[in-house]
Parts: sequence; structure tokens; C-alpha cells
Amino acid sequence: MTTAADTGTPPGTTPATTTKTTEDGTARMAAPRADCTADSAGGLTFDVCDHGAPEAAHLVLVHRTGGDEVRLPLTPVSHQRLRASLPMSVTLPEGRWDAYVQVAGEEPVRLAPGLNDLRSLVDRAPSGARGYVAVRIPYATKHGNLTVRSWLREPHAEAGDLLVADGELTVHGRLYGTGFTAEADAEIRRRAAGGPALRPELTVSGDDFTLRIGYDELGAGEWDLWLRPGGPEGPEVRLARLLDDVADKKPIFTYPVTRVPGAAGGELAAQPCYTLDNDLSVSVSLRAV
Amino acid sequence: MHISFLMHNAYAIGGTIRTTYNLADQLAEQHDVEVVSVFRHRDEPVFTPDPRVRLRHLVDLRKDAPGYDGDHPDIKRPATSFPSHEGRYEQYSALTDRRIAEHLAAVEADVVVGTRPGLNVHLATQTRRGPLRVGQEHLTLGTHSAGLTRRLRAVYPRLDALTTTTEADARAYRDRMRLPGVRVEAMPNPVPAPRVAPADGTGKWVVAAGRLAPVKRYDLLVKAFDTVRAERPDWRLRIYGGGKQKDKLRRLIDRRGLYNHVFLMGPAHPIEPEWAKGSLAAVTSTFESFGMTIVEAMRCGLPVVSTDCPHGPGEIIDDGVDGRLVGVGDVDAIAAGLLELIHDDGRRQEMAARALSASARFDPARIAERYEDMFAALTPRGAVAGLLRRARGSLFGGVHAARDAGRSALGSLGKGRTA
Repeated sequence: MTTAADTGTPPGTTPATTTKTTEDGTARMAAPRADCTADSAGGLTFDVCDHGAPEAAHLVLVHRTGGDEVRLPLTPVSHQRLRASLPMSVTLPEGRWDAYVQVAGEEPVRLAPGLNDLRSLVDRAPSGARGYVAVRIPYATKHGNLTVRSWLREPHAEAGDLLVADGELTVHGRLYGTGFTAEADAEIRRRAAGGPALRPELTVSGDDFTLRIGYDELGAGEWDLWLRPGGPEGPEVRLARLLDDVADKKPIFTYPVTRVPGAAGGELAAQPCYTLDNDLSVSVSLRAV
Repeated sequence: MHISFLMHNAYAIGGTIRTTYNLADQLAEQHDVEVVSVFRHRDEPVFTPDPRVRLRHLVDLRKDAPGYDGDHPDIKRPATSFPSHEGRYEQYSALTDRRIAEHLAAVEADVVVGTRPGLNVHLATQTRRGPLRVGQEHLTLGTHSAGLTRRLRAVYPRLDALTTTTEADARAYRDRMRLPGVRVEAMPNPVPAPRVAPADGTGKWVVAAGRLAPVKRYDLLVKAFDTVRAERPDWRLRIYGGGKQKDKLRRLIDRRGLYNHVFLMGPAHPIEPEWAKGSLAAVTSTFESFGMTIVEAMRCGLPVVSTDCPHGPGEIIDDGVDGRLVGVGDVDAIAAGLLELIHDDGRRQEMAARALSASARFDPARIAERYEDMFAALTPRGAVAGLLRRARGSLFGGVHAARDAGRSALGSLGKGRTA
């Protein structure tokens, strides 16, 4: 049974930290929560409740695979509230960063997501003037924990509207952090090792670009889209959709399937899709008839 | 005053549960409040009530719990007190009959509140003498079967009060049921102030939220947005929620080539930050027993274009003032309503401001006050003193106080401050 214990929460609110009572009657604290707010530059602030102890506290972001740590001091901003800031000036290498809170001298405690106010990320248009685009989107993991997904693209090719019609895929996008030269080119590469690279038609207007891919050129497999804005000697830029508030594009940005006659007879099904990293690909599979 | 709510399952997820907690949390500021859940199927409730609200259960369905009731022989025997025409009848049993009856025969409360028809039947017939018996109807009379309506007509006269979520439904009860001496009153669902700042109205996004169910008619919204796109391709639509209509809607979006404009976002909890990303909300239902999402959107500063369906929308939206009411099932009317506010930024912003102020009447503080007034009016004179309103200062401070408090309500950090 949940106890009606006084957790010192101000009236009229749902306590973001709840007291759980185990079967033997002992109480333990559930995960503390952090409210995340994004600013228009793409920086994040994390608000957590003051623990009331004099010891210093940090918000710690731990890179899920590399183990790197970014420690952000939690400072009081108002009554019972501590805030940590992650401005764009703090570099956050690409990947998933699990969020913890750590009081000096204690073990870090995994944070749960509170209220994420990401409205300033929705239609974000960064300048790209520094040569790169950095994106951080906080999200709830499937286990209900708070993690920040970070992208750092130097330069970056943002995929915008896609058009699927007449056996063709047209991708409208914008280049950030570099410019197109006369040698600019695009590639669509089969992901399988040693697969071929094809050259889709590229049209450029300032930093905006349009790619046209005929599905009939693609065989079965996963195909990844790249730009070579400076030509064969310049950087390779993966097409991705990063500039909004949606951490995982794959289930939300979905596109129609097109049936294409296969080269060796039979029928193929082609569909643009986003990868788990929000990079743009085309998936071509043999249709089971 | 001691107030005891009786719920089907206070540990689960759903509109009635959220609404009941919103009310119970607010009443707990002034009163002694408990929520009694007939069933418990998990350790922690999905929605966390205020710590001052006591929560307990009557029948334990947790297999690993020491008080597990699932093997009790009476749980297999059919219920006789719980009405057989009630939608939840199959879950009730001789065991629930007995546990609920025992609870109501001994309940130490000044007011007992039932939250669905079957429980109201228990309340009307089994509550000990003394407490006020208040039945809540979260659905509508029109949606009850003839059999259930007959049963309710027989026992509801034994209630002290019956609340509906709309005036329209209150009228239906007064007209179609003979309820002499029963106070029938419309009590809108309380909706707390959002914990995020209201929308600034500059984003070119229309937002809708709700189960992807046929009654919501999101197919009409998608078709209407086809018309919107033709005139204003810079505007887009997000639909939040999950449900069985998802694949059908996906196909409709793809068939119309709307995949760059209409997005099925999946369920979002909490929903307030998602409303705040939009500038306009849309509801295209054929039926809304209340219209909770309309109030939620308005509290986030969005004007709502809604079909004028029974029962709630017309009682929430002041057409042309703080939103628009359009014809039910009418794609062209929905599109016209949206475009009217998309084309006119000034008018949209004006309506947004009015939506924000008008929707404050649904604040839990105001709704709880209406309940308190009703309880007081029903309590015999002389018994009132000492029961009501130890203090009542939260009305005007409510909006900001709640928001500020919410942001700081984060308890302790890893320091096991256990209460």
C-alpha cells in the first residue's frame, strides 16, 4: 500500500519523487526526476529538486558505450530547485548519454525524465557558421530513464521533405557547415561491405539541395545517402534528419512503399526510412508474392 | 471533512482515474481524502496521487502479493449486487460484492463518492446511514444500455447527489430519470494548469491528441488537412496517441501524399509540452462525453477547432470567441475552421489569450470548490460547522502557485529521505 507520507512536497502537485513501500514495510525513494528545457540555440537545462544537503551535487552524463563522463554542477536557482546547464559550448560527442545525479561522496543515481519542454527544437534552423551542427535531444528510454541523444555533424546535410512518386525518390535538404562547389556530388551506397555506390542526380541552390533517385537503379539491400559537397576530394556528409524535437525519427517519419520491377524479374519494394541514428536510407527488399 | 472515493482500479491508466486524482489531490488541501480501489493489479499506481491522499484496495490481483485474492473461490462466482448490465460486470464477483459491501457498511467518511454506475449502485444501496452518497457519471446516460438505465432508475433515488460532466447530460438525467430529492449537478472534469509556459502561438503546427479510435474521426482531420495543405503548405499537423486506427490512418496519409505534413506521433505522457509546441488544436470526434483534451489544449494557450458534437465541446468552447465549433463529420467545415485561424494570426492570438483565461474555470481549485459547495448544501444544518473549509486561499494563487510548485516538486536526490 502506498503510504500517505509527507515527502515535503509543496501542495497541489504530483510529487516527482515518490516514496515506494516494499512488502516488508521499508520505504525507499524512487528515481529522482529532471525537467529538461531546450533553448533556441540547442542548449539544455536540467532542473532537479534540492536534496537539502550541503554537499555539492552534479548532474553526470555518461556515454553509453564509451564510458566518457560530462559533469555539470547543480546550482540552486530557487526554492528547492537545482539546475545544471549543458550549453552548446560544452562539446558532447555523438551518442547516447545516460543522465545521473551525484551528491558528493555518494553513488550516482540514475535520473528519470520529468517534463521535457523542447518547443524551441521543433523547427530549429541553426546557422552552421562554426562548421558543424550539434543536436541534443533528451528522451525517456524504454526502461523509463533519462538519456540525452547527441549528434555532432561536421558538416551536416539535413533531410527535409521527401517526395515518393513515379518510381522515384526526391529528397529536399539543406547543407550546414560548408558550401557546395562546382564538383559537388551525391552518392547512394549499398551498406553491405564492398557494395556499389551510385550517383543520384543532385541539384543545388545556395545551401539547399535536391536529390533524385530512380528506384529501378537499386537492387535489394539497404542504401545510405551521402553528399560530397566539395567533390571527390572533399568531406563525405551523411544525410540525416536532426533538426527537431523527435529523438527517434524511424517510427514517426515514415513514407510510402513503392513496388519496383527487379532486374532479375520479380518485384522489389523500396521505402525511404530513418536509421536508429536518424540517418536517411532507402530500404529495398524482395517482395514475397 | 472526510471524503472517500470508490474506484474500479485506481492503479491503472485512464481518463476517469486521472480526473479523480486531480479532484482528490485538490480536495486533500482542505480535507481528509482517501481513494478506495476495488482492484489492485500492480504495486504502484500509474498516476501518482498527492501524498496526502490515502490509497487502498479491496481485492488484490497481484500474484506475488501475500494478500492475493485470485484463488479465492468467491472470485469465480458471479456478482449479484454489481449490476449485470454494467460494462465491467465480468470483472466483478461474489467477492467484490462482499468486500465493497463491507467497506461501505463501515466507511468512516462524511462523503462517499462513486466513480462509475456499477459502484454507484453499491453506494446507493449499501452505504451505512450517515455519509452523503454522491454518484459520479463519467460517461453519459445516452450510452448506458436499457437494462443498466432501468437498474439505475431504481436505485439512484437513494443517492444524495449525482454529478455529470456536462449540463447536457445533467438535463438528460433530470428529464429521463425520476430522481426526487437527488441533487443532479454538472461538474466538469478538473484540469490542472500545465507545468510549462503556454504556447507562444508562432509555431505553424496544428496539434491533436487522443486515442486513435473510430469515434475520434481522425480520418476527417487528415482529409481536412489535405485542404489546409493546398492553401498553406507551411503548416503541419501532429496527432498524438495510439490505437487500432493507426494503420488505417497511416495508409490514408500515404495515399494522399501527406507524409510531409501529417505525423502520427504515438502516445505522449505528459502531453502538456506537446500542446505547447502548437498554435492551434483540432478535435473531430462524433462524440465526447466531456472533452478533456479541449480543456488541456486551452490551458496551454491553444484555441481549439472542434466539431460541435454531443456533449462537451459546446459547453467548453465559446464559438468565435475562444475557439471554433464546426459541423460534425464535415471535412470542409473542419478545414475552413482551421484555415480561418491559420490565415489570421491576430485573430488566432486573440482567441489563444481568451482560451487561456476562459479555461481557468476548469482549474481543480475551482472544481473542488464547487464540490465543497455541493457537499455543504447537502449536509444538514448544524453539521456543517467544522466540516468545511479550514481555509480557502488557493483560488487566485492557483495557476502560478501550481506551476511553480510543480517544477520544484522533485523530492530528495538519492539521499534516502524517507518519510
